Amino acid sequence: MNIEVTEIRKQFKTPVTREGRFAGLRTLFSRDYIVKEAVRGISFQVDSGEFIGYIGPNGAGKSTTIKMLTGILHPTSGKVLLGGMDPHKERRQTVRRLGVVFGQRSGLWWDLPVKDSYDILTEMYGVTPADKKRRLDQFAELLDLHEFWATPVRKLSLGQRMRADLAAAMLHDPDLLFLDEPTIGLDVNAKRNIRQFLKILNEQFGKTILLTTHDMDDIEQLCKRVMVINEGQLSYDGTTQGLRDSIGLPTLFRVAFRGAFHIPEHFQASLSERNNPIISSSLINMPIHVTKVQDNIVTVEANRQEWSTMDILRELEGWGEIDDIDMEEPDFEDVIHRVY
Amino acid sequence: MNAKSWFSLYRLLIRTSIRSRMQYKFNFVLASVLAALIQISEFLMVAIVLYKFGAIQGWSLYEIGYLFAVITLSKTLYRTFADEVHHLEKYLVGGELDQLLTRPLPVLLTLMPQSFRIMLGEVLQGGFLLCWSLGAMMSRGQVNWVSVPLTLLAICTGAVIMFSIGLATATIGFWTTRITELQNITEDAARTAAQYPLSLYPKWLSSLLLIVIPVGLVNYVPALYILRGELGPWVPGVVAVAAGLCLYGSLRFWQFGITKYQSTGS
Amino acid sequence: MLYFTLASKAYARNLQYRGAHMVHNIASAMFGYMYACIWIGLGKDHVLGDYGTQGMVSYIAFTQSSLWISGFITNGLGIPQAVRTGLISLDLLRPVHLFTHLMAREWGQIAYQFLYKSLPIYLLYVVVFRLQFSGSWLTLIYVGVGLFGAAYLAICMNYLIGVSAMWTTESSWLHWGNHAMINLLAGFFIPLEWLPDWLERFAWLTPYPYLLYVPTRIFLGFGDVSLLWGTLFWCALMTSGCLLATQWLRRKVEVQGG
Repeated sequence: MNIEVTEIRKQFKTPVTREGRFAGLRTLFSRDYIVKEAVRGISFQVDSGEFIGYIGPNGAGKSTTIKMLTGILHPTSGKVLLGGMDPHKERRQTVRRLGVVFGQRSGLWWDLPVKDSYDILTEMYGVTPADKKRRLDQFAELLDLHEFWATPVRKLSLGQRMRADLAAAMLHDPDLLFLDEPTIGLDVNAKRNIRQFLKILNEQFGKTILLTTHDMDDIEQLCKRVMVINEGQLSYDGTTQGLRDSIGLPTLFRVAFRGAFHIPEHFQASLSERNNPIISSSLINMPIHVTKVQDNIVTVEANRQEWSTMDILRELEGWGEIDDIDMEEPDFEDVIHRVY
Repeated sequence: MNAKSWFSLYRLLIRTSIRSRMQYKFNFVLASVLAALIQISEFLMVAIVLYKFGAIQGWSLYEIGYLFAVITLSKTLYRTFADEVHHLEKYLVGGELDQLLTRPLPVLLTLMPQSFRIMLGEVLQGGFLLCWSLGAMMSRGQVNWVSVPLTLLAICTGAVIMFSIGLATATIGFWTTRITELQNITEDAARTAAQYPLSLYPKWLSSLLLIVIPVGLVNYVPALYILRGELGPWVPGVVAVAAGLCLYGSLRFWQFGITKYQSTGS
Repeated sequence: MLYFTLASKAYARNLQYRGAHMVHNIASAMFGYMYACIWIGLGKDHVLGDYGTQGMVSYIAFTQSSLWISGFITNGLGIPQAVRTGLISLDLLRPVHLFTHLMAREWGQIAYQFLYKSLPIYLLYVVVFRLQFSGSWLTLIYVGVGLFGAAYLAICMNYLIGVSAMWTTESSWLHWGNHAMINLLAGFFIPLEWLPDWLERFAWLTPYPYLLYVPTRIFLGFGDVSLLWGTLFWCALMTSGCLLATQWLRRKVEVQGG
């Protein structure tokens, strides 16, 4: 199921809050509004079977976009089509083919055992008993649901609840899955579990998945494509590798020299005057520069957009006899901080 | 999804709710009996006064007990099936309404089966008051057995009216988010007012309770006919039509209100 | 000084919701209005004792307004919630006695409710029912003392209800039971002398009459100022009860870890 989004915008009107006596009543009848534009003209297309990460800082308009895609909020202008259907005009038919998980709240019945929630959802989506059994057996195995099958939802741990919620969202076999921060607040193990399940859904079952997250490991391990939203607009839409490259964060080389070594003047300058903003900014443009010298270990930052790894190694060999070398790719988390 | 499978969904919910409540049987029964006793204290307060002074403007203790019982049972019926309508504020503030909007059903029909409340305490209290007051009036020959089906009908139409009032009040939450204070007026205060004969109140208040917030149609108007033979036999029919109109109006208002929904957060 | 800060924070926290509370006041005023209408209805056919119809309307106006001082205060002073969330052990760690700490907070709440709930509601009744006050300044001082004692008693009673949450999960029933007792035994709707004889005698064995009935009688000029000694007696008894309960609570938390 593909997604087609054209120029969607969302404005929120909030009434001006009055001060003083009878403030509540006066606010109720007041006609003054503050207009806030949360999403400012976003367009993109998603093909069937894609796995997309949707990231951005808090308040950038991520959740608003997801809510417009799933038919919860009406866009102020623009158009959303899910598999050719408009989720606002034909809400009930469209949402039948969607699975939605909000990490912060549960779609299950709080006081009822997990399995009872599945019974209710089965009725709600008109899933046949045979399909229900087959799917639940499958999910129960993949997500280890059995251990809390009869526990009321309110007593589940966060990780268990998330697994139960994911199974619930997949119960009616939707083609398209929207996940709003599915790994929020989970420990490493639980995150790994969830990611494995999502990978299977995408690769083996061919589900189209769109996921928002603050955890860059989610993006790196799951999504081939990533979209970045900032202040209501898309600031990047492309491959995950491309995002990493476009920022051009330096790769770190840690070189241990055997015996004496000599660092050429123009690279060394960066050491002493690094704190000088003018010089250090001009140094950023140099292909490589030294950031730290400790005993016989020299740390070098290199921009691999300009020099290939071989070029850099050749340069370093010229400084002395290399004993050991250690290379470190830029951390994805840092990549993202650059984008925001 | 058709009506039939919706009802089977609802039945399922009722079954599972009862099962989960029954895990703590003793607590549940004790809590229900206590609730009944505590709620009856409000009637006791008035009953003591009536016991001392006789009647209020020609309304006997039994008749007022009847008014109490009918409105309590109507409210119980409404809250049993649509408690979440009354608690819409929780969904608006916490953003849980988002989740409901992703379901392939009209929002109201997804909201109602979110919980099913067993209000045994209210049933005990209302049922006891109704049997006591109707029984006493029957033995004195004031009413006969016909009053029983008419009363049951009044309780059902009353539940529809109270549901409509509750739904219309909840809908205002789409604009204001907070509705607790408003519900205090349209649901709690209005219901308390209707526990006594409306003729006690000045004209403006009794008209308000018959037309704007029509709680008077739940028990007072039916009681005029059922207990005292006033007005005429058209009363149950007209009350039923009025209940239908209230329901229609509040449903239309709800549908309009929901298009104004602004989800929380960004 | 700490206590004053606690109280003024509680007061200020409520100020934010002034608007919503004003809507709430309309509902509260309506309740009292209805009860007054019942007495007006009764007064048409019956003689209403010493009070007369107008006297009973004043009676209801005063009790309904006073409910916000001695009736509707924070459920269990917030202790049941603290027990559920486990914050209670943190509260017991503080270098302030739990009872005085919570009491200071509640005084702020009551001060707010007096200014923004009791007073507006009573003033509304003064206009609607054309109430008159014939008493002297001295009467007003006695009323003030009576209400102050009533608020203190209400704080103590809610503290005890709150502390019971440490032993039972069903302490909200005590809260509702307390409300039922206020309805019946505090003279909220019926003056105590009109209760059945046995119930009236029972009521005077409890602190409830001092919550509403005693201040109301003094306000209406029936002059039973000596009843205030009863308020004082119950305040002293309740205070020692609360201190004792805190000790038990502390031991319970230490044994159970909250």
